Amino acid sequence: MSTNIPTPTPAGETSSALTAAQKFLRDAATKSADLVHREIIRKNMDSYDAAHNRGRARIKDWEAARRKCQEIKREAINNLDKYLLQFEKKVLERGGHVFWAANGDEACAYIKDLAVSRGVKTVVKSKSMVTEEMHLAPVLEEAGIRVWETDLGEFIVQLRNEAPYHIVTPAMHLDRNQIRDLFREKLGEDIPDADPQKLVALARRKLREAFFAAEMGISGANFLVADAGAVAITTNEGNGRLSTSLPRIHVAVTGIEKMIPRLEDLGTLWPVLATSGTGQPITTYSTLIGGPKRADEADGPEEFHVVLLDNGRSGLLANAEEREVLHCIRCGACLNICPVYRNIGGHTYNTTYPGPIGSVLTPHLRGSEFQHLSYASSLCGACTSVCPVNINLHHHLLHNRRDFTKAGGGKPGERMQFKLWRTAMLHPRLFAFGGWMMRRSLRLLYGMGLAGTALDPMRAWSRKRTPVPLPTQSFRAHWKKDLWKAGLRKKEPGRNAGGDQ
Amino acid sequence: MAISNSSREAILARIREGLRTPAPPIGDKTFYGPIFEAVGNPLERFQQECKANLMECLLTADAAGSAQALAQVLQSLPDGEVFVQDDPVLRRLITVASSQRQIRWSSQGGPLEKSQATVTLADALIAQTGSVFVSASCGGRGASVVAPTHIVYATEKQLVPDLVTALRKATADGRLERNSYACVISGSSRTADIEKILVQGAHGPMRLAVIVEIGA
Repeated sequence: MSTNIPTPTPAGETSSALTAAQKFLRDAATKSADLVHREIIRKNMDSYDAAHNRGRARIKDWEAARRKCQEIKREAINNLDKYLLQFEKKVLERGGHVFWAANGDEACAYIKDLAVSRGVKTVVKSKSMVTEEMHLAPVLEEAGIRVWETDLGEFIVQLRNEAPYHIVTPAMHLDRNQIRDLFREKLGEDIPDADPQKLVALARRKLREAFFAAEMGISGANFLVADAGAVAITTNEGNGRLSTSLPRIHVAVTGIEKMIPRLEDLGTLWPVLATSGTGQPITTYSTLIGGPKRADEADGPEEFHVVLLDNGRSGLLANAEEREVLHCIRCGACLNICPVYRNIGGHTYNTTYPGPIGSVLTPHLRGSEFQHLSYASSLCGACTSVCPVNINLHHHLLHNRRDFTKAGGGKPGERMQFKLWRTAMLHPRLFAFGGWMMRRSLRLLYGMGLAGTALDPMRAWSRKRTPVPLPTQSFRAHWKKDLWKAGLRKKEPGRNAGGDQ
Repeated sequence: MAISNSSREAILARIREGLRTPAPPIGDKTFYGPIFEAVGNPLERFQQECKANLMECLLTADAAGSAQALAQVLQSLPDGEVFVQDDPVLRRLITVASSQRQIRWSSQGGPLEKSQATVTLADALIAQTGSVFVSASCGGRGASVVAPTHIVYATEKQLVPDLVTALRKATADGRLERNSYACVISGSSRTADIEKILVQGAHGPMRLAVIVEIGA
């Protein structure tokens, strides 16, 4: 195979001197003004919305399904030590290996050493966000091992030297013509009409060679089943099946939080994951792997390794208030519904996990440098409303903001503003005076044509928009003079006229 | 390579320490009813779901009918080797269905890339999702994913109403204790990674045909 595949830039690596927060703001502004990008995403999301709604309608009681999944994951996470040990025992009994990695470096080193010691030259990978999180592919490439991403979307972004755009559909940001051009450039074959069927066939042909050449297959895991001691992997394309069937070594890399207690729990989790992820009743291949090939089996890997990655998860577990963030099953539903994600796109987050779940999770996994993501939300709650395991995502964004500010984070000016606001709210006369001052000052400022300038305290709004019309009187005055007379007060006799404005 | 699990105890200690503080209780006390619609007629539901999953479901009355259905599917395929699970039932069927084809039996190893089709048994059929439950004992891991066509022979008695029943049965039978792998297959290989347009045959079979023998 002559295809030259570059090593992708890991998400979260910043090449310039900008901080992660500055880069986020810059990229968000650029991406939200990109009309072509917006149209591609809108089309994809419309398609997803229709499928997701159809999928939910097939389930008799969607809220009951969410509640059940929440209970399953809650039980697993709140007894995680017990279930991890149960899982490990089963895997070891079947002749598999279990490696516990405290961080990404340990996990990468284990897999690289394993590959080198077994003479591995080619690795096929099925989609795994955990391997993206620990930047595994570049480590293997540096050791001279060719790594092939085999999920079609992952293969496309690998050819583009990009990180995945979305945790379920990594190449959502590209249209067929861009993929046609990419394949022509990188694979050397032209498909003039950019027919998706032909593009898929070309990728299939190229990756088949890799599947049959590879000595090692690396997969993620959607779930770890404690009582069965099995890794559960779901894929539609079958690349996960081939990656875990043909090479002589299979390594499953997974976060410790993927645990579930019982095999029968998948009877609810598999359909719910598929419905939330793609709108399907169930993913095409829902696979369970518990060990290496047995002596009486026709084929399969001779070695089976499970790498259990902590990488900050046990720290999040210790935070009882936000522990449920570890319930996430990575369906991507919160990304799809998020108005921020839909406008700024996946790459702007510059993290392995974008969207609302990424905004909650990343500051815990990667530190305060990514705390700005807690503010990448309008707090509309749409993410919480679709989460199939009922994670209260938008409240956790608020928790992160609170913790960040308490720890001394945030802008000093913003802290001062909130202090002033609090003081004013506790002193109605001061509040009324402030409102009076603000109305007069702004009227003067706008009269001088200075709206939107550095002198305008409403600049964040008015620099790109028409200034908000200024009221001639305070709300309190308006209430007393007009609304009272209109008789509204009489309809609510028990209520006070309230504070100003 | 010896595994040095030096972080194992540290990770477990952190988890145990973290779990000392209990998680807040779930606020919602609403009582919820059944999640999925009960399956009334499993065979009918299985056929409906197979159609939705773009699978072929061929009902037959007896072994002769099954052999005929298998022969028809094989005749529609290009020339070339067929991989078959080495099982007495399938040996009888394949003898009747195809005397011309070169057969590679699972006892000779996994399927080759050049295989035109694979023929296997199933552990169970699942009505709720129109799925075929297979394990390594059904011809191995590659038997259901390597060739462009996968043909499954099963009987109506193997049909279970839903996924939970199939998984409970697999646990009770110790199926995962005896197999390194199992899979619930619900259609042919597919992708929608390009503009959300569905394309069949991404990496695995483009065609999945299930022969279900009634009353066997």
